[in-house]
Amino acid sequence: MQMLKHIGIIALNTFRESIRDKILYNIGFLAIALTLFSIVLGEWSVFDRAYVIKSTTLSVMSLSGLLISIFVGISLVQKEIQRRTVLTLLSKPISRAAFIVGKYFGLLAVVAVHLVLLTCIYYVILWITNSSPTASLLTAIYLIFCEMAVVIAVALLFSSFSSTVLSALFTLGVYFAGHLSDQLLEQVKFASRMGELHGTSSALLEKAAVVIHAVFPGLYRFNVTNYVVHGVALPDMYVFWNSIYALGYIGVFLSIASWWFSRRDFL
Amino acid sequence: MIEIEHLHKTYRSGFTMKPKLALKDVSFRVETGKVYGFIGPNGAGKSTTIKVLTGLLNFDSGKVLVNGISPRDVKSREFIGYSPEQPYFYDYLSGRELLRFYGKLVGLKGAGLESRIGWALELLHANKDWIDRRLRSYSKGMMQRVGIAQAILSKPKLLILDEPMSGLDPMGRRDVREAIQQLNRDGVTIFYSSHLLSDVEAISHRVAMIVDGHIVREGTIDEITESCGVEYHVRTRQAILESDLPRGVSATGHPQEYICADDVARDRMLGFCLSNGIAVEKMDHKRPSLEDILTEEIARADA
Repeated sequence: MQMLKHIGIIALNTFRESIRDKILYNIGFLAIALTLFSIVLGEWSVFDRAYVIKSTTLSVMSLSGLLISIFVGISLVQKEIQRRTVLTLLSKPISRAAFIVGKYFGLLAVVAVHLVLLTCIYYVILWITNSSPTASLLTAIYLIFCEMAVVIAVALLFSSFSSTVLSALFTLGVYFAGHLSDQLLEQVKFASRMGELHGTSSALLEKAAVVIHAVFPGLYRFNVTNYVVHGVALPDMYVFWNSIYALGYIGVFLSIASWWFSRRDFL
Repeated sequence: MIEIEHLHKTYRSGFTMKPKLALKDVSFRVETGKVYGFIGPNGAGKSTTIKVLTGLLNFDSGKVLVNGISPRDVKSREFIGYSPEQPYFYDYLSGRELLRFYGKLVGLKGAGLESRIGWALELLHANKDWIDRRLRSYSKGMMQRVGIAQAILSKPKLLILDEPMSGLDPMGRRDVREAIQQLNRDGVTIFYSSHLLSDVEAISHRVAMIVDGHIVREGTIDEITESCGVEYHVRTRQAILESDLPRGVSATGHPQEYICADDVARDRMLGFCLSNGIAVEKMDHKRPSLEDILTEEIARADA
């Protein structure tokens, strides 16, 4: 109970800190500008206007959410250490796990507010342009939020033990690996079936692809833009199981981050 | 309140993780209700010891207990208030907002929190209009007062202060000194490090001196200074030729003033004056100051 209270207080403070961060406003304004630009793109494009607006805006949400998750996320812990505010905070009777989890929820709240704001603008644009705003688009936005929830946990994990630059690179690495691991596994299996890979190299490559696919979070699961934009129904319980999937990874990443952080010395 | 036995701490730094022993077999105890000064030059291990006590640093070996609990246990921090050296806080908050944030973390809320903040600010003479300004506009002294205020919000049993007087003007130093003494009268044990040895001499019940990671002296101010010997200054009514002075007595440069190196030399000098009919005008003893002893210890460590 006490720990939950500490997490809440730290999360609230992190939220207040993050919404004063200039980088957040830069990303926010860029996202709004690109969202509005999707109307122009829809007019210029040879494709269906509604399709262009919907898919562009969902991509903008995903990209801006990613930028916030990475660039604000990696600096959250590092800033506390570099500015030495962590000294007074951790000398209070709060666990280091509560610190990490509080930071996590603080940034998650920022991303949630950002996505809610963009969603409102998105629906206004769809309504103005008669682009059939449907409730199913919310499913795609919710899954973008789940994806960002995983990415923030990754960013916090890396920033609990490495520098800001390295944390950014590692997190981006996990993001791309998470989006490409499925295709990599398919390609390796396909090449193996077609006989393009031989002997031990084939077995090793296949195993490596299987390990990458198993270890890295499959972020491609959260990208359902094509389904919802074209009005294709998602499989039953897809959102539920992927929410559980995201929670599992978040739990593991935050546990490792807390464990690592609790071993750290603060000079 | 604090028990440290055979504490060792090594830092590893650089690409090769080269070890550097920061604390070497450090042992001392701080009794409940005392003001305990921790002095030493820069880099001697004062802040390292303090950070071990507050759980911010892990240690290699030894025994460390705070109120009977290891600092590795979060519970040990329920009794502690800590203000770091050159405290830095979230500069987008005002001083009062910052105190509310820390107050909530130690379980205070509502009217109780507000009245505790008022009490802490009053004690540190910080209940002024600047407390509602953003911290980024604060001077070093204001920051130091807010740092100590957040440390005492929980009314801790043990207050640990790292260089609490640094950055303060003479008025600020006096305020902090008085606050420390008031808290101690209220039963709070105080453990603090400082470079300002005159303040340490004025308010500490006991002192530990650390040089190069070793505790080189420990005790009350009297115990420490007496252990380094006492000089006696004797002033006579008439001058004595230097060649006539008894063994262990030397001239000071003043024609009628002499220094006796110890009690034996003092007795010889008094006997000499008595037998030669020389009147003694004044005699007093002079102990070395903490500064003298610390300087001597640093020179010894460097040698």
